[in-house]
Amino acid sequence: MTGTKGTIVKLSLVVVAMYGFSYALVPIYDKFCEITGLNGKTNEVAYIGNDIQKDNRFVTIKFISNVANSAPLDFEPSVTEMTVQVGKAYNTHYVMKNNSSKQLHTTASPSVTPGKHAEYFKKVECFCFEQQTINAGEVKDLGIQFIIDNDLPHASGDIILSYTMFDITDSVKETNRL
Amino acid sequence: MSANIDHLKEEHHQPSGLMRWITTTNHKDIGSLYLWFSLLMFFVGGLMALIIRAELFQPGLQFVVPGFFNQMTTMHALIMIFGAVMPAFVGLANWQLPMMIGAPDMALPRLNNWSFWILPFAFTMLLSTLFFESGGPAAGWTLYPPLSLQGGNSMPFVIFSLHLLGASSILGAINVIATILNMRAPGMTLMKMPIFVWTWLITAFLLIASMPVLAGAITMLLTDRFYGTSFFTAAGGGDPVLFQHIFWFFGHPEVYILILPAFGIVSTIIPAFSRKKLFGYDSMVYATASIALLSFIVWAHHMFTVGMPLAGEIFFMFTTMLIAVPTGVKVFNWVATMWKGSMTFETPMLFALAFIILFTIGGFSGLMLAITPADFQYHDTYFVVAHFHYVLVPGAVFAIIAAVYYWLPKWTGKMYNETLGKVHFWMTTIFVNITFFPMHFVGLAGMPRRIPDYAVQFTDFNMIASVGAFGFGLSQLLFVYILFLTLKQPVTAEDKSWEGAEGLEWTLPSPAPYHSFDTPPKVE
Amino acid sequence: MKRLSVFLVTMLASLTTMADWEVNMPRGVTPTANAAYDLHMLIFYITVVIGIVVFGVMFYSIFHHRKSKGAKPASFHESTTVEIIWTVIPFVILVGMAIPATKTLIMMEDTRNSEITLKVTGYQWMWKYDYVEDDVAFFSKLDSDSNEARQLGSKKDVNKVDNYLLNVDNEVVLPTDTKIRILLTASDVIHAWWVPELTGKKDAIPGYVNELWIDIKKPGVYRGQCTELCGKDHGFMPIVVRAVPKQEYTKWVSLNQKNRVADKSK
Ligand code: HEM
Ligand SMILES: [Cu+2]
Repeated sequence: MTGTKGTIVKLSLVVVAMYGFSYALVPIYDKFCEITGLNGKTNEVAYIGNDIQKDNRFVTIKFISNVANSAPLDFEPSVTEMTVQVGKAYNTHYVMKNNSSKQLHTTASPSVTPGKHAEYFKKVECFCFEQQTINAGEVKDLGIQFIIDNDLPHASGDIILSYTMFDITDSVKETNRL
Repeated sequence: MSANIDHLKEEHHQPSGLMRWITTTNHKDIGSLYLWFSLLMFFVGGLMALIIRAELFQPGLQFVVPGFFNQMTTMHALIMIFGAVMPAFVGLANWQLPMMIGAPDMALPRLNNWSFWILPFAFTMLLSTLFFESGGPAAGWTLYPPLSLQGGNSMPFVIFSLHLLGASSILGAINVIATILNMRAPGMTLMKMPIFVWTWLITAFLLIASMPVLAGAITMLLTDRFYGTSFFTAAGGGDPVLFQHIFWFFGHPEVYILILPAFGIVSTIIPAFSRKKLFGYDSMVYATASIALLSFIVWAHHMFTVGMPLAGEIFFMFTTMLIAVPTGVKVFNWVATMWKGSMTFETPMLFALAFIILFTIGGFSGLMLAITPADFQYHDTYFVVAHFHYVLVPGAVFAIIAAVYYWLPKWTGKMYNETLGKVHFWMTTIFVNITFFPMHFVGLAGMPRRIPDYAVQFTDFNMIASVGAFGFGLSQLLFVYILFLTLKQPVTAEDKSWEGAEGLEWTLPSPAPYHSFDTPPKVE
Repeated sequence: MKRLSVFLVTMLASLTTMADWEVNMPRGVTPTANAAYDLHMLIFYITVVIGIVVFGVMFYSIFHHRKSKGAKPASFHESTTVEIIWTVIPFVILVGMAIPATKTLIMMEDTRNSEITLKVTGYQWMWKYDYVEDDVAFFSKLDSDSNEARQLGSKKDVNKVDNYLLNVDNEVVLPTDTKIRILLTASDVIHAWWVPELTGKKDAIPGYVNELWIDIKKPGVYRGQCTELCGKDHGFMPIVVRAVPKQEYTKWVSLNQKNRVADKSK
């Protein structure tokens, strides 16, 4: 019977390991996205390096916005298109308005298209790094500062930067309650 | 024909009536429980399919509202996969593995009892969600968030029942592996095992490696919904596509779990009725193993349209195409087994032959789906529905039916009525094609899957498919009738019911004694 | 099999009162859709040939190697040579399929040098279109005729509705002979935007942006549907694209810039 016991123990370990593996897939996936630019995820913390060289190339950046779940918000880029020099820092901003009659908490999720260019889109400053609080009727400017990395491959086309604004008031309230 | 079940029962002091079935630890009893349960679930899932096909008989909504339609498609898939096909294979494993390897019973009889009795509870819970005010699950069996996070109160119940089903499968798989690795008759080396035993061994490893991943995925869904995690919502830095990756990391091995035992059955039946040894036993084993291994690196072919990087799309296209090679080897081996054989065409053989042809058609559409740029057109249309029904119904289900006809005389000591069996075969085969073949056409012509109503140009083929589905359903009533007639007969079957049958099970009396091999047979 | 075909033929004959018997993928009107069509046909023909060979051998065996014809079973049960041959041949065929498939894929994923950008947002259950460069935006949902006819118990005959379930209140107008980039995202759950004649589908995922490109070579009206289950009305959010020559498109844009529909007005 020891043979059987041994089999059971080994197989149970495999089961536990595979369960763990499903959770391990979460960070693996994030790493994978970072490397391949899957989903156009951009850096989640401010870029503070200074290794980016100025370059004589220019690229067009298009700015896009979305409001998730039809939240009572207006959210638009202040300019929809900029032609920028590679390696130079630029500022722009989005405008958000709260159309509801109460204070809202929001968070923005960025996405760069084509996804493989996400790694060259370096944000020095971005409203997406933290949550926003916006009062009823308030209009807010949300700034970003960015640099296009000079590692950007030649013959790249336009880059599209999109933000989706989520109303997370309910979940913020819930965490505060806990 | 010496042994007699009733006599043996007394010998082992079995409790009688219902308690016998609840407390049984005997592999044959548990095998029967699994098979009956699976038959019941076939009819429950089938009823849902008929509701779907009735609604799709013509355009416009006639019977159900869209929300209920979505519950039907979701439930139909969950019931058929986890309630019908998987338990049927486990039932066959329970009956056959000990007899085929020369063991008295499964290695872990008590565990065996639990793995079965979890199922009725899990399915009662799953089905009860249909009666909730907010309805049952309606996001598809793939449970993609964010849609599945929007559902009503049914979600935690569905997830809990899936956990139970997963646990049952894992326990069953551990039992299968423990039995095969430790209880073979002396002299039966791994490469002498019957091919059905091999396919089940590999399937069990797939189960152990993939079911826990499903458990992880649905647990993450649950915590996303109720405990504020955000694995899958962009608002909290998560990603809905991550769920799809984890789900299909389980899901693709799962589809092979649904077919490998069927390969084993067909590889047993074809030689028996060709009166010739299985061609290329070794390469069959290697092909099965390589299909199983490859099945872990092809998952993203289910999600070509989520917008993966080019390199990812190419990688998953190549690996998926590669799976066609070992699958092809299997088909060629079956044909070579028949070649220069001496064939007869009893019901199990007919089902096995239909399996080869129709499964191969499903393999062809699979190959087409593997071509990423073409899949952008096929994906989420009825073409995919046609593909997976071809591999699952005339694939997995036909193999199960063939196995039942083939081993029924061994299990019961009674032979089914051959004429009725043939009628059952022809009706089933004709209707299965009438049901699923037109789905290729509407799919290519642009009909999406999972819709309750469709544009009028899809009407004709949908009508045909619905007629076929009802015919298919009715044909299965004949199957139940045949089983009923068989069981009513006296015991008359021979120990070796088929002239060309090979294997240890045929050295036992029919019906097989309660404990298969009390003294292990010698395998030279 | 013969009985099957006889049955099918009679079934078909009894149904000829109805019109459409489309059995294949439509040919596209863009380079990408045409490439997909060509690949589809290529792979289809390859599988047909393989099928004829394999099933041919099988049926030959079924007819000639049966016991009732006195066939005696042979005793061979392996042959390394044969097994290697039928592993290698399929592999070679697959390589032959992979080459054009990869080329097409690379072509489809190259969205560079697009002239205009259309942003498509999936909602439960309608689409929103933003012409990114031109300041035109509107929602597009199932037309009211279809919507009335599709209700459970509706008295309206669906066969009398124009383009039942494939018609919308506001069509998307796009120029022909222009490389158009389509950006896809969603507001609530995952949707998928698909117009078969224009190109393959792609998912619209909340919080993320996907892209496609099309270059329509023929003016006309092209219809499609949402193809990712998105809740109860998933079957009722069609897509209609009207492709017009460039000048006409420019005119259309200038007319519609004024009637800009804001986000809230849906
Ligand atoms: C030659 C072998 C096969 C290939 C190349 C293949 C390929 C594929 C591909 C590419 C898809 C995704 C289609 C799409 O959603 O766009 C798919 C779907 C599917 N396949 Fe296969 N397949 C093969 C065999 C099988 C087998 C043996 C089974 C199970 C018995 C199976 C079951 C399924 C199922 C259930 C789905 C649909 C899942 C869903 O979306 O709900 N396939 N197959
Ligand atoms: Cu798969």
